[in-house]
Amino acid sequence: MPFISKIQRQTDYHLFPPSTPIVIDNGASYFRIGWAGESEPRVIFRNIVQRPRHKATGETVTIVGDQDTSLLRYFDCTRSGPRSAFDSNVVFQFEIMEYILDFAFDRLGASGSRIDHPILITECVCNPVYSRSKMAELLFETYGVPAVAFGVDAAFSYKYNQQRAICGKDGLAICPGFNTTHVIPFVDGEPVYKGSCRTNIGGYHVTDNLKQLLSLKYPHHMARFTWEKVEDLKMEHCYIAADYALEARLFQKGGKEAEEKTRCWQLPWVPPPTEEPPSEEELARKAAIRERQGQRLREMAEAKRSSRINELENQLHGLEFLLQQINQVQEEEIPAFLAETGYVSKQEIEATLNKVSQSLRKAKGEPKAEQAENEKADSSAAEKYPLINIPDNMLTPEQIKEKKRQIFLKTTTEGRQRAKQKRFEEEQEREKKNQQDEQKRLENPQLYLEQMHTKYKELYEKVEQRKRLKTNGGHTNGNSGGVGRGERLNPAHRERMRLLTTAAFDRGKGEDTFGAKDEDWQLYKLMSKDNDDDDDGPDEDEAELARVCSRLQEIDPAFVPKPEVTTTQATASEVPRARQLTKEDFQILFGVERFRCPEILFNPNLVGVDQAGLDEMTGVSIRRLGYKDGALEDRLTSSVFMTGGCSLFPGINERLEAGIRMLRPCGSPIKVVRALDPVLDAWRGASAYAANYQFQQQTFTRADFYEKGEDWLRRYQLRYTL
Amino acid sequence: MEAEVMKAELVLPTHMSFKRIQMYEKYPKGQSKVRWKQLKQIIQAENYQNFPPDDPNYVNIETPPSMHPCKRICDITGFEAPYYDPRTNLRYANADVFKLVRSLPNEYVQRYLALRKAQVVLK
Repeated sequence: MPFISKIQRQTDYHLFPPSTPIVIDNGASYFRIGWAGESEPRVIFRNIVQRPRHKATGETVTIVGDQDTSLLRYFDCTRSGPRSAFDSNVVFQFEIMEYILDFAFDRLGASGSRIDHPILITECVCNPVYSRSKMAELLFETYGVPAVAFGVDAAFSYKYNQQRAICGKDGLAICPGFNTTHVIPFVDGEPVYKGSCRTNIGGYHVTDNLKQLLSLKYPHHMARFTWEKVEDLKMEHCYIAADYALEARLFQKGGKEAEEKTRCWQLPWVPPPTEEPPSEEELARKAAIRERQGQRLREMAEAKRSSRINELENQLHGLEFLLQQINQVQEEEIPAFLAETGYVSKQEIEATLNKVSQSLRKAKGEPKAEQAENEKADSSAAEKYPLINIPDNMLTPEQIKEKKRQIFLKTTTEGRQRAKQKRFEEEQEREKKNQQDEQKRLENPQLYLEQMHTKYKELYEKVEQRKRLKTNGGHTNGNSGGVGRGERLNPAHRERMRLLTTAAFDRGKGEDTFGAKDEDWQLYKLMSKDNDDDDDGPDEDEAELARVCSRLQEIDPAFVPKPEVTTTQATASEVPRARQLTKEDFQILFGVERFRCPEILFNPNLVGVDQAGLDEMTGVSIRRLGYKDGALEDRLTSSVFMTGGCSLFPGINERLEAGIRMLRPCGSPIKVVRALDPVLDAWRGASAYAANYQFQQQTFTRADFYEKGEDWLRRYQLRYTL
Repeated sequence: MEAEVMKAELVLPTHMSFKRIQMYEKYPKGQSKVRWKQLKQIIQAENYQNFPPDDPNYVNIETPPSMHPCKRICDITGFEAPYYDPRTNLRYANADVFKLVRSLPNEYVQRYLALRKAQVVLK
């Protein structure tokens, strides 16, 4: 049952004579105000105040209660959320309280220079006298109220229902409210506060718990879970399980019943436009376009190549011509002749010629010839590198230089050759292994497959283990797959940190001899970050794993290689980005949450409140009364009365009855009843009470308040039976 | 101010004829300078220790801790939780949940712990 606010301004204020009391139920969640003797409060609104800034004018304004959210768009609410005058169930912020009272009286239609009606206002059980006197002061001083009375909401509700024979004159009122839950024993129609108890848990905590759980479960939709929405969800879906453990097990096992009990909230979701496969023509058109583009590119490349070849050929001809000319001129005239061309010597021209002809060959696309030439040259290394075998002392310095070059060339080519050879051998080895495998497979496919799988598993484990060791530095959690959450640094890192700290703290201690020896400088090498890459390429196991993996993929279609490592697991719970979001991604499912959240009323321990829950509170209450009168206790338990917003949860009666049965001696009469209207009965009770002609005797005036002092106010208590 | 806002009388008027002291007289700067006492401070100022202990007051009507052993439920799923993870302090119901627990980033672990007021509080 969602609460509905009533904030229409009343027009008949002036019709009521000054003797008619105004009745206020000042609950932590809802504020209700109306006239004594009426059956419904006139104005109801959420007991909150917001002070946002008006966007257009920039002035700070006050907005009371739950207003139309669409109108709030004119205001900047980012800096001030809704605030309540309550801390737990006690009013402490009287500035906010004043705004609320202003609004309430205004909507009740108040006019004139003061509120000229006695006021009955509710408060919590054993309200601290500070709060009570501040409230009285506010009413007397600011609003000019002639007389005030304070009463407890649960008690009014109990009396209201007692008059309608729902509960007896002896009984227990259980009131799970918004911030707190109270149990108040009634004896002879009067509440006995000595026997009452309070647990600091209520509807607020249930909603908050549900909100938190949902936003943890669906982090993507966190913005959807506003307080108001979650409150609605709570009232619509939550229930109290008869036995939490049983119910939870039902859900754990799954099955039809659990499925039936799971509720689903479909968030607005628009299916993305389905992409139709492109038609034949479309495909052909696209292919044609691609083909045309490719053609153009090819043409461009061809043009570029031919122009380059042209250029190179021209250069080549020029150089050849130059050489011919040089051959024709005399030896002495060469430098003078060359000065014009920019070349220094004949050799240089020849070298350039060589280079140009090579580039030309390359551009024309005959690199193979060169390589073949190289290979050929390899066979006759002695001819190619003639200087290598001649001792240094027989050579001129120029020749020594040439020799060094030749040695370098020779080693590099040899190295290349060796690498090639090795690669070839490896290839052969793999081929051989694969062939062997193939043979084995042909002999017994089933067995072979199994063997491969076990081998894969073993190798996988091994490689994983090594990786873990590397990252976790030996902290493996059995085979649970330490994902490295909260793990220390790996050993290499740790060593580096150690070096850094020792280096940092060594300075200034004794004589600084750092750098005297050459080894000292090695330290920096060790410290540097590059030092970390200690893995020497993929090792044998990894290579073998890769081979087995590919082999398995070939022969076993059902085989899926395991995900790479750890990091993928962390993101597994989230929706992968690449996947198209489906309708299911926009569904909020309530399974266990439906009874897990209200369960905190019975087990406050679940949210870290170390107090007894609803069922045990009745036992505490009876114990605190201390009557040792079995008959009375039986009378109390046979009229257990529930009121307050949280008693609306389905199943709470049965659960409470079972809980009390466990506490009471065998065969005790137990009857749990719910108030006619758990939400509004407190106000109705108060209204009926204030309408009684004897109500005047229960109020106190401003003069009383200032004369009698604080001690009197502390002991002030209504008589609920008039 | 916009017409629809005016029509809904959304904004509380600053002047009320029925009040003897207006809000702007009380709090000329728009907001009170006084820091209102929090409930804790109120209770402290009440000096309940000076009154006989069997007089009911706000503090001594509090319910004592439960006599039953604390129910342990899985922080993630809400099922019964026979195990708890010493690294994150989360309770969990089975191996699947454990895997999830281990993959949770620390922020989420702390939020789950905060649900039962067991999170790490830095002071």
